[in-house]
Amino acid sequence: MSFRLSGGLLIIGLCIEAISLFWVHPLAFLAFFVLGGVFLAAGVLLYLSSLIFHPSQTNPNDSHSK
Amino acid sequence: MPGPLAILFVLLGTTIVLLIVLLTRASLTATPAGKILAFLAFCALPILCGFWGLNEHLERSKQTAFCLSCHIMEPYGRSLYAADPMYIPAAHFENHRIPAEEACYTCHTDYAMYGTIRVKLHGLRHIYVQYFGTPMNPIHLYDPYNNRECLHCHAGARSFENDTHMALLDQIKANQLSCVSSGCHDTIHNAASIDKVKMWKSQE
Repeated sequence: MSFRLSGGLLIIGLCIEAISLFWVHPLAFLAFFVLGGVFLAAGVLLYLSSLIFHPSQTNPNDSHSK
Repeated sequence: MPGPLAILFVLLGTTIVLLIVLLTRASLTATPAGKILAFLAFCALPILCGFWGLNEHLERSKQTAFCLSCHIMEPYGRSLYAADPMYIPAAHFENHRIPAEEACYTCHTDYAMYGTIRVKLHGLRHIYVQYFGTPMNPIHLYDPYNNRECLHCHAGARSFENDTHMALLDQIKANQLSCVSSGCHDTIHNAASIDKVKMWKSQE
């Protein structure tokens, strides 16, 4: 579950970053830094925490086989 | 040769595609190579994209267009086109003594150690005040303009080394005598009365 959530957060964060790069304006910087940064950081941290605390969940096949 | 921005977009696109592939075909992460690929897609590449994007945004924040995109800066932008050579910002901008694309940043950065970081933090404060606070009216610098910023380019220049400047050099370097408020070069942006000034139009 955290594997999918992490992926979803990262995709949203990366999309925000990509969209913000089309605009030269302080609001674009805010969108990138506040919104995109939060989604990216949350996605990466969730993935890393799932590696450390729930290694089997990073591979959905493992959890399905159990 | 593609520019850094194009490469960043390719990297962003690749990372998103990789994430979608790994989310839809999770069995790929069962193998050791798949786990490395997942680590790249879920950790290394997003961090790389984030820092690269941050650097791109910081570089853009140096652009004149970026500073002038806030309504409050409009008269300051117009003052760059004053047809009066006594207007110091206009004299620099119109004669390309400073890069036109980074005009604001070139004169208003801090040419000291960690100066760029200090200026960026000031920039964040500007954004905060613009959108969440009340901008000062009229706006003014946080600190008096430092002669160091002028001397960064002018010190040692032939046009600068005249008798007047040389006689006052110690006071200028010590900031005891300001370049811009001493009655010498004191016509700066004059934003309040810029509408009354004749404007210069570039032929380009």
